[in-house]
Amino acid sequence: MGEKIGIYICECGPNIANKVYIDKIIEKISSIEAYKNKELVIKNHKLLCSIDGKKFLEEEIKQNEFTHLVIAACSPKDHESTFINICKKTHLNPYLFRIVNIREQCAWIISDRDEATEKAIQYIRGSINRVSYQSPLEEKKLDSNPDVLVIGGGIAGIETALSLASKKRKVYLIEKTSKLGGKSAKFRKLLPRQNCNTDVIQKKLLDVEENNHIQIFKETELEKAIGFFGNFEVILKNVKDNNLKTELRVGAIIVASGFKQLNTSELPKYEYTQDDDVYTSLEIEEMCSQNGKVLLKSGEEPRSIALIHCVGREEKGYCSQICCNYMLKIAQYLEQQSSDIKIKEFYRDLCLPNKDDQFFLENLQNSAIDFIRIKDIEIKGNKIKYIGTDDTKKEIEVDMLILAPAMEAEDGATELAELLNIQLDETGFFQEAHQKLNPIATSTDGIFIVGAARGPSGISESILQAQAVGGEILTQLIPGEKIVPEVKVSEVLEALCKGCQTCLNVCTYGAIYFDEDRGISVVNEAICRGCGNCMGSCPSGAIRSKHFTNPQLYQEMVEALR
Amino acid sequence: MGEVKINNFKPKIVGYLCNWCTYAAADLAGASRLDIKPSINVIRVMCSSRIDQNLILTTFFGGADGILIAGCHPGDCHYDKGNYYARRRYALLKKVLETLKLDPERLQLSWISAAEGKRYATVVNEFTERIRKLGPNPINNNSYF
Repeated sequence: MGEKIGIYICECGPNIANKVYIDKIIEKISSIEAYKNKELVIKNHKLLCSIDGKKFLEEEIKQNEFTHLVIAACSPKDHESTFINICKKTHLNPYLFRIVNIREQCAWIISDRDEATEKAIQYIRGSINRVSYQSPLEEKKLDSNPDVLVIGGGIAGIETALSLASKKRKVYLIEKTSKLGGKSAKFRKLLPRQNCNTDVIQKKLLDVEENNHIQIFKETELEKAIGFFGNFEVILKNVKDNNLKTELRVGAIIVASGFKQLNTSELPKYEYTQDDDVYTSLEIEEMCSQNGKVLLKSGEEPRSIALIHCVGREEKGYCSQICCNYMLKIAQYLEQQSSDIKIKEFYRDLCLPNKDDQFFLENLQNSAIDFIRIKDIEIKGNKIKYIGTDDTKKEIEVDMLILAPAMEAEDGATELAELLNIQLDETGFFQEAHQKLNPIATSTDGIFIVGAARGPSGISESILQAQAVGGEILTQLIPGEKIVPEVKVSEVLEALCKGCQTCLNVCTYGAIYFDEDRGISVVNEAICRGCGNCMGSCPSGAIRSKHFTNPQLYQEMVEALR
Repeated sequence: MGEVKINNFKPKIVGYLCNWCTYAAADLAGASRLDIKPSINVIRVMCSSRIDQNLILTTFFGGADGILIAGCHPGDCHYDKGNYYARRRYALLKKVLETLKLDPERLQLSWISAAEGKRYATVVNEFTERIRKLGPNPINNNSYF
C-alpha cells in the first residue's frame, strides 16, 4: 500500500526559523534513500497554529489525501490538540498524525544552529518512521447515566447533593446514621461571625429534605459498587436490616464520609474517666446547643476551664487545621456565659489561616483569656502538668477540661476505599488523584471526594469542595451525551498471555480482570487510563500499550541511535 | 590518541521521559532557553512505568551510550504509583546490566517535576558528561561479542 506522508514544518515565527535551517531539513529529508518507497510531501509554513496556518493545513490534507501526517513544530502540550482537531475535520485519523517537538527540544536549547538542524532532522526522521507504525485508533462512545450517588449526609454531602439537584440532577444521598447534617449540625454557632447555626446548616437540611430531585436513604451503607465513569451499578444496604437492599445505577459517586475525632483513650498522656469533667470539643458543642450553657457534671457552673489544643497532633503527624479556630469559638461561648470563668488556652502553634481568623483572635486577646504556649502537656483527671516554652514544668488544677482531638477519617473509610477501589493516603484520609492539579478527584474516574473525607477541612472549605465537585459532574456527565473513554489504552494479546495475573496487581485502576474460562487477563478499556504499567510488568510481553507500542518506540529509538 | 578519541566522542543518549512531569520539565527548560547538550534524544511515554526491561536492553543493544529514564517525584505520579514500579524495574535492570558487562552507570533514573526545567537541564548535561567520560557503549565495538 502506498503511503503518502505529509510533513509540515512550522517556523513558529522566528522561534524555529531563526534557530534551525529549515531549507536544509527539507533538502535532507527529501533526499533520504530509505523513504523512496513512500510518497512524501514536505512544506514549511510561518505559523501553523494561526488561522491561516490551520486553513492551509486542512486544505493540504484534503487535497493530498495523506495516509499519515507529521508536523514539526512546538511541544505536543501546546498544539497537539490543535492539529488533532484539524485531522478530525478531514479524512485523516488523528492517531496517524504525530507532532515533533523541534522547538523546545531543538531550536530553544541548542545554541549551535547546525547542531540544532541535525537534531531536528533526527527527530523528524524518527517520527516519519513512527507514523508508519501507528494504528488508526477509534474513539468509542458509551452511553452514560447522569444520576449521582452521594455517600455521607454531612455538610459536604448535602451541599454536593444540593448543587447537583439545582440543575435537576437525580441524586441519591445515603447516610449511615438516622440523621442528616453530620457533625456540623451539632454546632451551636458558626465561625467566623458567630452566626446562629439554625440559620445556616438547619436551612440546608430543610432544603435537602424537601428537594424532589434528592432521594435520601438514612441508616444506609454502600455494599457493592462495580463499573466505571458513567456506568456504575451499586447496591445499598440498610444498616439495621442487612437484607433490605437497594440496587441503583449511577454515573458518578461522591464520597463525603467525613471524619471522626481521635479517641483520646488511645493517648496515654490524656488520662481521665467518664466521671471527670473532661470533654471533647464536639461534646461541648452538643452541650451548648442543648442547654445553651456549659455545666459541670454536678450541674454547677465551672469557674476555671482549660482548653487544650493539638490533642494527638504529634501522634497523627498532621495538623487538623480547624481546631484552633473552634477552640477560640468555644472560649467565646464561655466568656459570654459568665465573666467569672477563668479560661486558659494551652496551644503549641496557633493555626489560623483564614482571612477572618485574625479579627476573631484579636477580639479574644483583648479579653481575660490566658493564652499559654506549651511544649508538652499531660492530664490526669482535671489536673494538668505542662512544660512551657521556657522549659519550666508547671502543674495546675481546673474545674473542667475541653480537648481538641485530632480529626481522622471516619470509621469504615478503609472498607469504603476497598469497595470503590480508591486509595487512602498515609494519614488515613482518602487520596486525591493529584494533590494540586486534581484535588477532588480520585484515581478512579467518576469517583470524587469532598469535605473532611479527603482531609481536615472546615465547613466553608467543605462547601467549596462540594460546589467544585458539583460543577465537575455537571460539566463531565451530561444527560444524553456519550462518554468517550481514553483511546490509548492497554490490550492483552491472548496468544502470549500466560495468565500469571501480574498485571492485575500493578494496575492502580483495577482496569484488568482475569477471564477464568480463557485463562487470560483482559483489560476493561472503559477504565484503563493508558499509563502502560501493566505492559512494563508483563513477563510474557503479552500487553500492548496502544499508541506507545514497542515497534512504535523502536522506530523513534533507531533514529536516535543513527 | 585515546585522549583525542574521548574528546571527539559525542554520546548518544536516549531519554525516556514521562509525559506529565519530565516531558513538561523539558518543555520548561526549552521555554527558559537553557543550554542543553544535543546528545539526548527524547522519547515521550505516558508514564515511567511503561518502560519495560526489554525496551531498555534493546536500546542498549541498539548502541545507546546512555539511557535516562525520568518521571514524576515519588508520590507525585499522575497514575498514582507508576514511578515506584519504574524504580523497582530500574533497580533490577542495574543488576542485569552488570551481568551483560555494561556499566550500570550508563542507565540513570531521575525524578524531575514539571516545574524543574533547570534541574532537567542539569541532569541531562551532567549525565552526558558522565557518559562522555565512560566512553562509547562497548556493544558498538566488535570485540564485545
